[in-house]
Amino acid sequence: MTLIVLLLGLAVGVLVGLLGIGGGVVLVPALVYLLHMDQHLAQGTSLFILLPPVGVGALREYWKQGQVDLRAGILCALGILVGGYFGGLIAVPLASRNLKGLFGCFLILAAFLLWRKPQPENRTMPSDSEGSAHG
Amino acid sequence: MGDHPMRDAGIFGAACLCGIASGLFGIGGGTLLVPFLALFFAFGQHRAQGTSLIALIPPTGALAFYAYAKAGYISWHTGLLLIPGVFVGGMLGGWLAKRLQPRRMRQVFAGLMLALGVWEAAAAWGR
Repeated sequence: MTLIVLLLGLAVGVLVGLLGIGGGVVLVPALVYLLHMDQHLAQGTSLFILLPPVGVGALREYWKQGQVDLRAGILCALGILVGGYFGGLIAVPLASRNLKGLFGCFLILAAFLLWRKPQPENRTMPSDSEGSAHG
Repeated sequence: MGDHPMRDAGIFGAACLCGIASGLFGIGGGTLLVPFLALFFAFGQHRAQGTSLIALIPPTGALAFYAYAKAGYISWHTGLLLIPGVFVGGMLGGWLAKRLQPRRMRQVFAGLMLALGVWEAAAAWGR
């Protein structure tokens, strides 16, 4: 059991670095289906895991390439902090079953957003990333 | 503040939306933040992902976490076991991201999320 949990963490971590996300989208369903947690418990545990800077190792790789906008990052952190409070207030009183269904709808929406190609990709790693590492 | 107050306000507003999703669904918020930055603010894919990662370094979910903790919805034991794996895996993934075609890896992941989402919604409301 402990081994499963450790390996699950590793697998989620690879996605964190690969896609620049927190990992909760994969972690929550994994906790529900692999460890048979209730939806609320899985979401709370996922938030707990995201408290320490688990993405800092991944961030280092992006930082080295100059692929970080520090100013935007700080603004986003503030927005997520504030929004997160209200999201938590909404989620806690919901029935577990409805929360689970909503989570499914959210995943579908996120999948479509992720699929869309915003603009031509920069295949080369730009060395012209001024304004990246200073805010 | 800066030279682009409108852009800053827009980014902050978009991040607030991501935050609501973060608290509501117990996630980091990067899943929404990355496409938002790319679609609305013309970030390249790698830059959007790097910026999302730095936004997740401070404990942005702390207030949402507090709401769940108060209601007793935290499994401390499992959480503590997961943290080292996510950290090490994250370094591995960041290293891999430089070597993979970003469009392809996003599509694979989008497919996975779509399947998971349909499965979850069906499991919750199916019967």
